[in-house]
Amino acid sequence: MFGFGKKKTKKPKQEFIEPEVAVITEENKDEVLRTISMREKELNQADREGKAKIYEDIGMTYLKIKEDDQAIDALEKSIQYKKTLGDGYKTLLRLYNKKRAEAAKMNDDKSLQIYMEKMDQMMQISKDVTRGVR
Amino acid sequence: MRVINFIIENILTQASVTIALIAMLGLILQKKSAGQVISGSLKTMLGFMVLVAGSSIIVGSLTYFGKIFAEGFHMQGIVPSIEAINGQAMNELGLGRDIALTFLAIFVFNIIIARFTKWKYIFLTGQAILWMATMTTVFGYFAGLRGITLILVGGFIGAVFAVAMPAIAQPFVRKITGSDDIALGHFCTVGYVFEAGVAKVFGEKGDKKKSVEDLKLPAQLEFLQDTYLSVMVIMVPLYIITAAFAGADFASTLSGDTHYLMFAFLQAIQFVVGVYVLLAGVRLLLGEIVPAFRGIAMRLVPNAKPALDCPVLFPFSPNAVIVGFITTTIGCVIAMFVLPVFGLAMILPGMLTAFFAGGTAGIFGNLVGGRRGAVIGGIAHGFFITLLPALLVTTFNSMGFVNTTATDVDTVTAALLYAWLIGPLLKAF
Repeated sequence: MFGFGKKKTKKPKQEFIEPEVAVITEENKDEVLRTISMREKELNQADREGKAKIYEDIGMTYLKIKEDDQAIDALEKSIQYKKTLGDGYKTLLRLYNKKRAEAAKMNDDKSLQIYMEKMDQMMQISKDVTRGVR
Repeated sequence: MRVINFIIENILTQASVTIALIAMLGLILQKKSAGQVISGSLKTMLGFMVLVAGSSIIVGSLTYFGKIFAEGFHMQGIVPSIEAINGQAMNELGLGRDIALTFLAIFVFNIIIARFTKWKYIFLTGQAILWMATMTTVFGYFAGLRGITLILVGGFIGAVFAVAMPAIAQPFVRKITGSDDIALGHFCTVGYVFEAGVAKVFGEKGDKKKSVEDLKLPAQLEFLQDTYLSVMVIMVPLYIITAAFAGADFASTLSGDTHYLMFAFLQAIQFVVGVYVLLAGVRLLLGEIVPAFRGIAMRLVPNAKPALDCPVLFPFSPNAVIVGFITTTIGCVIAMFVLPVFGLAMILPGMLTAFFAGGTAGIFGNLVGGRRGAVIGGIAHGFFITLLPALLVTTFNSMGFVNTTATDVDTVTAALLYAWLIGPLLKAF
């Protein structure tokens, strides 16, 4: 009666699955690097906005071949040219957090502080862009 | 013995010294050089003194505003400002030392909870922790707690909020960001979940759910570009209109030789100056303490999820931020007129809270209930975040706070926990 005493079947808890980043194999890594160097050549003719876009693309491409440091470098340049809150911003924040977690595991306080500060700066950029500060 | 007594009675009782010592502890634990320890500690002390100066300016302006509002509208007009509450508690109420120690206790308990439970959240928004420490200390003190008990209870309750709020928000944050590695650390989460609940009931469902992100909205909110300008935009008309309602005869008694409307204008600017100075003090105060302790926290709980300030969500749903800001402002204005009908004080709308809390709440509303959810949920959110602080006004008045109430609703919830549960329990036993 009223279902008392019945054993409740517990729903299995759904684990959150991180979005997969498309993995590029060693064979076409060279091809990706060639694409990056071609994009880099376009930088000379591009205006600030164009440069921001190219660097964002380069950063996202480096991420595909798991070159996190190169990706961070390119995405930082992109934001220096133009503050935006697109995929580049989100990826950069995620990469900073990844680096922060690695530094915490290594007990490396210097790197930890650097990436925490960079994450603070990302919060400021988010505020600025949303409020229209250029 | 006389020297030790002198140190305890005359130096350690000073809030600025206590705060500087906390910063010193953090810097020493980080193995900084002697020069860095000294300069960091002195900067922290300076920050406290600047904060106190800012508070005095705000109190002066709010005292004037309280008088003209009472004369003009025959009721109490409350300016919601957690900064003003913090400043007055630190300075006028003399709770600076206890707030500083509670602030430290929240950090320590947060680390302990994250280290030994499955809730691995480390709350990184230093300013929000300071507001929480302020509210738990003030309301703990009012409930009758003193000394170490006041600090430990406040620290524990604050830390529970610092872990529970990101944990409650995380199912939403996961869906918003598509990732589980960053959490939301902003003490307005009760409001966000409230908006999500309203959006669930009244919002669009299933295939009919349309996101506000598909709409074309103005991309920028130019008038909010500067924090202080946006405060000024509200305060200047508010003071001038109130002075006009109070009338030349009454308002001139407060303005001396200056024209009463000009005086109201200058007092509004004084309020903004006070907020400017106080926040500059807060930045100096936290500039050394927060990096030191969050570094320690992250190393002690290496698998922790960092709970970041609300702008972390803005890039994922920019339109919802604008919708949330507008609808929350509408809800605040409705509540401003409705609450006095029920005998509560008139709470004037705060532009910054409407932007940051409203904008973030909009993201939650849109996620759960689409466009309709964001709009209805946003208005309800505005009403809700005005109602909760209104419930604290009587208590704040009785404590001696001048014409102000708190804003961030999680800190208000913690205060209500003291006022409605801990206080009565303490009195019963």
